[in-house]
Amino acid sequence: MKPRNVKRLALAAALAGLVSAGNAADLAPLPEPKFNAAMAEMGKYLFFDERLSGDAALSCATCHNPQKGWSDGLPLSKAYPASEYFRNSPTILNAGFKKRFMWDGRLDGSDAGTLVRDMITEAHTMNMDARLMQERLKQVPEYNEMWLKFRKDDINGMRVFNVVGEFFKSIVSKNAPIDKFLKGDQSALNSTQREGYELFKGKANCVSCHNGPLGSDGNLHRTGVPENPEVTKDPLRHITMARHYSTSGLPNYMNTHEDVGFQAISKNPKDKGKFATPSIRDLKYTAPYMHNGMFRTLDEVVEFYSKGGGAGSELKPLNLSDYEKRALVAFLLEGLSGDPVIVEKPKLPAYKVRAFGKN
Amino acid sequence: MTTLKRKVTVAAIAALTVASVGLAPMANSADKPMAKKAMAAKPAVPPLGPLPAVPVPADNPMTPEKVELGKMLFWDSRLGGDASSPCVVCHEPGKGWGDGGEISRGYPGTQHWRNSQTVLNAAFYNKLFWEGNVTSLEAQAPAAAEGNVAGNGDRSLMEMRLRFIPEYVERFKKVFGTEWPRMTHAYMAIAAFERTLVSDPKQVPFDRYMAGDKKALSESAQRGMAVFNGKGGCIQCHNGPLASDQRFYSLGVPENEVFKTDPLYQITHRWEHYQKGISEKGYRGADLDHGYYYVTKNPKDIGKFRTPSLRELKYTAPFMHNGIFYTLDEVVDFYNKGGGTTGPNKSPLIKPLGLSDQEKKDLVAFLEALSMDKPLLMDPPKLPPYQPLKTAK
Repeated sequence: MKPRNVKRLALAAALAGLVSAGNAADLAPLPEPKFNAAMAEMGKYLFFDERLSGDAALSCATCHNPQKGWSDGLPLSKAYPASEYFRNSPTILNAGFKKRFMWDGRLDGSDAGTLVRDMITEAHTMNMDARLMQERLKQVPEYNEMWLKFRKDDINGMRVFNVVGEFFKSIVSKNAPIDKFLKGDQSALNSTQREGYELFKGKANCVSCHNGPLGSDGNLHRTGVPENPEVTKDPLRHITMARHYSTSGLPNYMNTHEDVGFQAISKNPKDKGKFATPSIRDLKYTAPYMHNGMFRTLDEVVEFYSKGGGAGSELKPLNLSDYEKRALVAFLLEGLSGDPVIVEKPKLPAYKVRAFGKN
Repeated sequence: MTTLKRKVTVAAIAALTVASVGLAPMANSADKPMAKKAMAAKPAVPPLGPLPAVPVPADNPMTPEKVELGKMLFWDSRLGGDASSPCVVCHEPGKGWGDGGEISRGYPGTQHWRNSQTVLNAAFYNKLFWEGNVTSLEAQAPAAAEGNVAGNGDRSLMEMRLRFIPEYVERFKKVFGTEWPRMTHAYMAIAAFERTLVSDPKQVPFDRYMAGDKKALSESAQRGMAVFNGKGGCIQCHNGPLASDQRFYSLGVPENEVFKTDPLYQITHRWEHYQKGISEKGYRGADLDHGYYYVTKNPKDIGKFRTPSLRELKYTAPFMHNGIFYTLDEVVDFYNKGGGTTGPNKSPLIKPLGLSDQEKKDLVAFLEALSMDKPLLMDPPKLPPYQPLKTAK
């Protein structure tokens, strides 16, 4: 086939895909997670191990606490000691299926290891030198044994991040009513929830962005969520945001006092205020909502969308009735949330003295 | 990171050049016997003497405002990772501007691996840290504030913290003329402050003695000075106003046991080898602090450390790169026995001295006379608070 024809075919296929996706956008059941079980088992320990942070004060679980929906329950997340964060801590539940990581979508969802690296080494999250982390882990005999279950060398380098990444991919919720419903069990959703689902796909058109297995298109959108005033009121949070801008290379960063979202990554003013569509699974466990935790309840969220979002929103008002709002919330809250996923903090093995000079 | 690497490389090349030029005559002279006559025939080393005016780099002139700012930053915990590790934590005025421990405490969750050196008179060094890997106070400050087992601060985060402290914004503007504080300037201010931390010659018995006050040194200290310059041979390396030739020697100082018994020290020991770019074989077998070798990567430099100043010893125990000796008596005993047996490349200058007990006492008396009568203490400055940034457009 001539190259030109290949191009044409590809274009036609792409267009067809767009159209069909537009017509048939819907939620879908969660696929089975794929991960290396031996790596995930070690990753579980590392996830809870404070020695993975610079001053050994916090672990991944500090801001992604299984007891708090694998988030921290706060509007704005805490950060490394002496810092405070300027966005909400997103849940880890089902996050292995994301197309993008971080609220500004700056990391590729197919690479959990890089996300883990970013969190562990970033100064305002865990502030850990990766080489020092390697040496700390090598000082724990049990970790060396776990490592040998999936590799033939010793604990080293970037691979440690991938180990945590495998655990991350294993955190998947089960038994959400929507999954049973989509597989044919009509009774999985009650009548109010079913009405909510119809609104979701129809009048409210949530599905245009919240689709697929996660209820997320993996794209970036501007909905005009109001700024969280705490960010500029609290110098520690503002410092973290301004420094994120300075290290991202955002022009005029000392005079940028709102959360510009994806613009800090793309540097395109058109992307100001755009954030990645979050998953809408397990919302029951993950309040407060939005990138800056501005809404405490789903009622507030639905109210916000019913009005068409905030300043600069891409959305149109929905004019939902009170009953419709309640039905939508019922669907979102119960229909899309699975059983709680609880992983207990394992008993962490201690550092042990090694034979000096046999490294 | 790239800049940092380049700086390290430049420093390494500079240090190499200095070492190869500087060490050659020493090695030759060391072949000769240590008898008094041979000593006299040796190329003269600069004698001990009063400290000259502090050298000030042309690109970082001293002003009272800069020094005052530097003092604040020296104490300010916001320079550091988790606000627990400002400069002053490991360089406390009340502990001789060191930290009083054998091995410096290091960042929380870690241990450092060497003794915290005094800042007093550090202005006179052109090789800082025990392995001499940086050549100015301006370069020492970031290496400590950002080093992962020291301050563990991120440069861009610390810089942004300074920008949210209005009083600092004003002070940096006055001193450096910038709209917003910059970390390079912060380090320059700290260096300027450190250049004020020098021994006061009026308070140092040895300096008073050299200035003509013959009563300033006790009889014992005067005899000790003769041992220092003669039989003890101390002057061979501890010479000039600073009592340091700023060259590198291996003395065979015993290793500190903690590296065999404490996991946190072992972690740092391996990490240092890993991050300093040692070969895999070197990393896997590492059981010694290689000192100057990390800078030159020349096996002949394994175990060498830069000669420290002998001023202010009264306030800066414990001694040596790993704090292994608590008293000057122990140090003098160590030299008297001809040093230790740890590691290779032991300096030929280190030989048994055959000092009598009286000579040892006299030598210690002299060494103590190189310190001020009273320690240089300093009250902490008042530190300005964070404030929300004025966000009005």
